[in-house]
Amino acid sequence: MTATAAKASPKRPGPGRSLSRLLQSRYAGALISLLVISVFLYFYQPVFLTWPNLMNIVKSNSVAFILALGTTFIVISGSVDLSFGSATTAAAMIFGLLLSAGLPLPFAILGAIVAGALLGAINGALVSYARISFFVVTLGTLSVFQSAALIMNDGGSISVFSQPGFKALNTFVNGSVGSVPIILIVDLVLLLIAGFVLRFTAFGRALYAIGSNPEAARLNGINVKLILFLVFVISGLTAGLASVVQVGRLTVASPEVDMNLLLTVLAAVLIGGTAMTGGEGGVLGTLIGILFLGVVQNGLTLTGVSSFWQGALSGGILIFSVWLGTMRGMLRSRKQAQLD
Amino acid sequence: MTAPLAAPRAGQVLLEARGIGKSFPGVRALDNVDLTIRSGEVHALTGENGSGKSTLSRVIAGVHQPDAGQILIDGAPVALASPAEAIARGIVMISQELTLAPTLSVAENIFMGRLPRTRLGTVDWPRLERDAEAALARLDVHVSPLARVSDLGLELQQEVEIARALSTEARLLILDEATSSLSEAATRRLLSLVAQERDKGMAILMITHRMPEIYAVSSVATVLRDGHLISTVPIPDTTEDQLVQQMVGREIGDYYAKRDIPAGEIVLEIADLHAHDGSFHPTSLTVRRGEILGVAGLAGSGKAELAQALGGAIPARGLVQVAGQPLRLGHPGRAIAAGIGYVPDDRKGAAILPVRNISENFSVAWTDLLARWGILSLRKQDREVGEAIHTYGVVAASPDVMISTLSGGNQQKVVLGRIFRKAPDVLVLNEPTRGVDVGAKSEIYRMLQDAAEAGAAVIVISSELPEILGIADRIAVFFEGRFTAEFNRGEADEEALAHAAVTGERRLAPPQDHRAHSMTAGEIDQ
Repeated sequence: MTATAAKASPKRPGPGRSLSRLLQSRYAGALISLLVISVFLYFYQPVFLTWPNLMNIVKSNSVAFILALGTTFIVISGSVDLSFGSATTAAAMIFGLLLSAGLPLPFAILGAIVAGALLGAINGALVSYARISFFVVTLGTLSVFQSAALIMNDGGSISVFSQPGFKALNTFVNGSVGSVPIILIVDLVLLLIAGFVLRFTAFGRALYAIGSNPEAARLNGINVKLILFLVFVISGLTAGLASVVQVGRLTVASPEVDMNLLLTVLAAVLIGGTAMTGGEGGVLGTLIGILFLGVVQNGLTLTGVSSFWQGALSGGILIFSVWLGTMRGMLRSRKQAQLD
Repeated sequence: MTAPLAAPRAGQVLLEARGIGKSFPGVRALDNVDLTIRSGEVHALTGENGSGKSTLSRVIAGVHQPDAGQILIDGAPVALASPAEAIARGIVMISQELTLAPTLSVAENIFMGRLPRTRLGTVDWPRLERDAEAALARLDVHVSPLARVSDLGLELQQEVEIARALSTEARLLILDEATSSLSEAATRRLLSLVAQERDKGMAILMITHRMPEIYAVSSVATVLRDGHLISTVPIPDTTEDQLVQQMVGREIGDYYAKRDIPAGEIVLEIADLHAHDGSFHPTSLTVRRGEILGVAGLAGSGKAELAQALGGAIPARGLVQVAGQPLRLGHPGRAIAAGIGYVPDDRKGAAILPVRNISENFSVAWTDLLARWGILSLRKQDREVGEAIHTYGVVAASPDVMISTLSGGNQQKVVLGRIFRKAPDVLVLNEPTRGVDVGAKSEIYRMLQDAAEAGAAVIVISSELPEILGIADRIAVFFEGRFTAEFNRGEADEEALAHAAVTGERRLAPPQDHRAHSMTAGEIDQ
């Protein structure tokens, strides 16, 4: 604004600055709360900080985490997908049907993922090319996909326990390499891929641009419709993948939609600092958001609090942490104003 | 430093600001600034972007609270803790950022917060409509009070904002670059209205860096630079050059620094281009490499839509050829690939990515340059952005700074720079200096002449006639959706352009020293 502002230098920040940057980032509140709760739980219930318990948290939150990655993409682009829970259920039924039809596991997994992607493509086409509001579209498909799941096996669930592919599936979902669960490796690989796509690819940068200002993105040659379509396909892909993990964990494909999933996933993304208004955020924050909610849930179990409290707590934490983010931003600008 | 006025002019002192200081993160926006505003007087507040003039006006309007100093109204110290308190004391501001509710009607916007009531306490709709009609008639604006604000163009929206301010019981009206999105004609209307209100005893603080406006209505001007008070001087006893010199702190030789750039071959050919919605009719023209074509016209004349059609922002029919290659219309991506660089007029709404940093605001247009197989090279991005920041003189602490924290001039340099850097064959610039200060304007004129020199055909669509006269080799005037008049450099003056914009007729300016280019023979469809 004035002569005090220096000409810019293109240097990247060093490691010292990246620590202070981490603390100033949008998910600092969630990160600090996560650490505080973890320390508290450790002193209260030392079993909390044992490897098996931590891996238990990872395993029980993998479905939500995979879905949250897709949702992070969606929210960065400025949209919301309310239908991913139903899409997961529908894909799970297809997965169950494919397994019980005797299809080998890899093909069944592929089938579930393709099914999820197709469901996402329906959302994407309606939002992007038919220009219907994402809220209307995904509220509608939330219901449609749920019906589809019920219709597929006449309302009945499909047990995959006795299917020939189940053993391999069980290893995939519950197995370990040494003491590291395979699902943790899968989660981390997905996190890395998602982080890479967001930061280093033209597609990822286009998502932020569209979420920030869709008209500016369009005028700069970004194919906004195609990218919005693709981001819903990605959300569907994660639903397909999540359905495989879910069926593996439950040993059954159930047509009932887990409504808690919607809150947990969206809450994790928002707690992780991805802005509902689009154009801001990232998957590292989402990981912290998921861990935070997972640790809270685990803490409730360990301390023997009724699980009925969990929804109230998750919802409360969501509102509180987003409010904290807003306050922090306001405080920071006020403090800096006083410093000068 | 202050040069106090020799004799008290006009009426009583209405508002006095003493020793105002205000800081923001990283910036001392105001330092010990004094300002005295009298009733019945237009006080111009001027300075470059970042000089603190907007901050000062916001302190007076209660938007910001000063860190130091005192504000006195009618001689009594007051604390203006919020805009509402300022409004209650008769201080009303019209800012360059619109503050309308787009989904409500014009009438509801004009009387927002003070809708007329019936005896039952419900909204008195017939009266609201009548009052709004009267408020609009005062401004000579022809728009239905029942129209939805979002259906209006930027200029009409600004007029609604002005109508709202003037319909209040304002004692002090602050115009914060209120004319920046108005055409010349609307600006003239507003200025005559300002003069009227002044003569009725209203005090007006006019923040602007447009010299003609200062000289048209004000009798005193205060110049700020880098948050300091430079001078308070009488108008018109102070010359334009003296004012500009005080604003920039140095002498600006020739503001436009117009160069003689030889025109090359025809690179843009437009034949029978027209908009689907009839906003402009079949239009033909050609532009050569190295040539700067100025396009003038009133708001609503279709000049903005022509620019949008060329940039692929709106659908259109007709033939557009860039360097001999026909262009498929209606797709921004294809226009870019064909070598058209389009910069929209709505910086906030259509150009910047507000929540992203400078780096990304540059690179959003450079994906083809920076990415291979869809993967970006961040090292290359840093290098390119660093060079662009240097080349286009963007002043910022770092490329990681959020773009919305920059001044309008610096934001515009980023918006222009990201297009210019790709060296397109044709540049279509819609209001390239809107809301930009004198210094940045001068730099932007240099930038676009550099681009012309490098072989681009440059089309500048502008509502500022001095700008078009100063920078263009050839001027085309749009009237009711068509090109109706064309002038070579030197053939037109402001009056001739204004006449053509209002009537569509071509009338030459009285001859003066001009350097008309003989090679700028373009075709214009009548």
